[in-house]
Amino acid sequence: MPLSAPAPHLRDPAARGRLGGALLAAVLLWPLLQAAGFDLAALLAPENLRVLGGFLRQFLPPETGADFLALLARATLETLAIATAGLALAFVLAVPLAYGASNAARERPRWSPVARGLLTVLRGIPELVWALVFVRVFGLGPAAGVLALGLAYGGMLGKVYAEILESVPAAPAQALLRSGARRPIALLYGLLPQAARELSSYTVYRWECAVRASVVMGFVGAGGLGQLMDQAMKMLNGGEASTILATFMLLVLAADALSGTLRRALDAPPAARAAPLGWRSGTLTAAVLAALAASLWLLEMDLPALFTLEAARSMAEFAGGFFPPEMGGAWLRQVARGVWETLAISIVGTLLAALLALLLALPRRRAPWNLLLNLLRSVPELVWATLTALAVGLGPFAGALALALHTTGVLGRLYAEALQNTPPTAARALRQAGSGGAMAFLYGTLPGAAPQLLAYTLYRWEMNIRMAAILGFVGAGGLGQLLYVELSLFHHPQAGTVILAMLALSVAVDAASAALRRRMG
Amino acid sequence: MSFELDGVGLCHPGGHAALHGITLAARQGEHVALIGPSGAGKTTLLNILGTALGASSGGVRVLGTALAPAPPAAWPPPRALRARIGSVHQAPPLPPRQRVVTAVLAGRLGQWPTWKALASLLYPADLPGAHAALARVQLQDKLFARCDQLSGGQLQRVGIARVLYQQPELLLADEPVSALDPTLALATVQLLVQDAAARGATLVASLHAVDLALACFARVVGLRAGRIAFDLPARAVTPALLQALYAPPGGAAPAPAGAPPPPLPPDGYAACR
Repeated sequence: MPLSAPAPHLRDPAARGRLGGALLAAVLLWPLLQAAGFDLAALLAPENLRVLGGFLRQFLPPETGADFLALLARATLETLAIATAGLALAFVLAVPLAYGASNAARERPRWSPVARGLLTVLRGIPELVWALVFVRVFGLGPAAGVLALGLAYGGMLGKVYAEILESVPAAPAQALLRSGARRPIALLYGLLPQAARELSSYTVYRWECAVRASVVMGFVGAGGLGQLMDQAMKMLNGGEASTILATFMLLVLAADALSGTLRRALDAPPAARAAPLGWRSGTLTAAVLAALAASLWLLEMDLPALFTLEAARSMAEFAGGFFPPEMGGAWLRQVARGVWETLAISIVGTLLAALLALLLALPRRRAPWNLLLNLLRSVPELVWATLTALAVGLGPFAGALALALHTTGVLGRLYAEALQNTPPTAARALRQAGSGGAMAFLYGTLPGAAPQLLAYTLYRWEMNIRMAAILGFVGAGGLGQLLYVELSLFHHPQAGTVILAMLALSVAVDAASAALRRRMG
Repeated sequence: MSFELDGVGLCHPGGHAALHGITLAARQGEHVALIGPSGAGKTTLLNILGTALGASSGGVRVLGTALAPAPPAAWPPPRALRARIGSVHQAPPLPPRQRVVTAVLAGRLGQWPTWKALASLLYPADLPGAHAALARVQLQDKLFARCDQLSGGQLQRVGIARVLYQQPELLLADEPVSALDPTLALATVQLLVQDAAARGATLVASLHAVDLALACFARVVGLRAGRIAFDLPARAVTPALLQALYAPPGGAAPAPAGAPPPPLPPDGYAACR
């Protein structure tokens, strides 16, 4: 064969873009670190360490009085019930919205403004803000928590369901569509078998998150473990705090085990039998339904009462108080500063977490590291924030650290899973050709896993922006601090501006991350 | 000797025995084709030579290094040895989102120092080298494409470009042309043979296309049910031997009319020698 002439220009066409990107990142990172109050010295200051140490020392022995344990058991059940009922509501909302918003099993992509818009608004407003609003309409109690979870998580589930369905190979569904199947059928036969595992594991993961969120909502009066935690933290009662934290961890571990069982059930090859439900899936379905019924019974939820005309009227009246939002120049400037600070907290927290998580996801022997990751993520950000505030003082850095700690736990687990699910052939071939383990990882495994790692990180970053806003409720800076102050002062028009800013921020982040994903995808 | 196998057997963890008492050796610079029906153990044999698998029994010596039998403490074998063995895999093991240039350069990861391998992730360390290797498989215009933009046949040739770039002393190819059309398959097998000949490297290739094996390789080894059926110069391989090699299991039944014996080399492939 003819040997071709030397190449005319051998320069990597991607190099300029990479260099530019790296420079831009460095230029952007500096002011972000500034705004997030990044200060390693504060982390190591002796007086801060002393306060934190004193509090942590009280963690032993944990409080084990019978009265307290009875209270704890009741609160735990209530938390579980809020999470379960809230997630059920979220699921009911998410399925039709995801179906409408997703382009999965469509022959031509279609823009669905209503479904997409609803999903954006639902999850653009943090569940804690929904909870604050519902507490004012329906009074203190679990109803506000369930509704808040249902709406916010409905938005999140719907968006992720839509994305998962779009991310699996489309060919089977397209083939069915072309042979005349309707869209729902093509989706059920062509996409669901591929996506079921991820969909169900994500739903179970969301249920875990809902448990944590229902704890957090206890801080604004929606009952459950959060209320107990709030009291223990406010009184710096380390013994009670450690018992409650241990309970969280048990809850998260239990959810983990449940998720594993579900996945194994999905992986098991179907029995040669016509009935759709075997004893295992039948038991599972019955158990889920029973848990839901028990939750509604425990919460004494009066579902119809939430959908009466009167409830709607008081709802509308309350919502009307936020309109028109305050648009004065001075207030807008303050809100803009809050937005910037929130962004900075979320970015710095997420970047720190991504670095730590990748390190913790690498070791082959998972057991000790999984324990650490479980510990990190079983403590909600808001609780971490109360601890980091003791460590570095109130302010945005405490928020960034709290985000980083919790997010490391979440991302570390997801990263480890993604790395394990990456086909090993590429790295194995490189090792066979004499490459070392580290290089086989960088050249073989990472390119395969990178899109997934990036998608997880970006998605987590979106969530962290919402969380960075909430962290302000315990004084960790950002938009949340503004909202909390204004709501406590009944300055509803000002609060309306902040809520709008949160929504706008969420939409902007969505757009940015979608654009990034398209570029990297 | 490039490699020596002495009574090598291999049992997969499930208990399935893939190879029995394989004794096979090749001098440095020999070109050997492996043929045989599916499941005969061709890939397993290549995996043992490529140090991907340890033998369950028998002695293995590759490029002068004796390999421990079953995967013991001394596994995996030294990187320096593995860097001298290049494999073309049946399904190219390339990450879909990796660029072709990176995939080709990865062939020398075993030879490069760590700093060079790291730096090459930021800017390709040897663009001319990657370009030249790709040019030999006529893919130079795909230098900066991503692997998932290529067709199956193009991907297979990227895998070949990688091993050409690696310049191994022992070149193992497992069905290297299974995704290529006959013309391209011939050109590609010729390329592997020429590359090995030019560098004095040993080449072992498993092929389903018997005609290609007979036309391009001096020595042909037939494998059947994990044993060596014959090990002969290509011109000594007779249609009767091939018919016996590919006969359906049970052996006694004559081949049905629908399954003729594999074709002998047509005139077109005479060009190969």
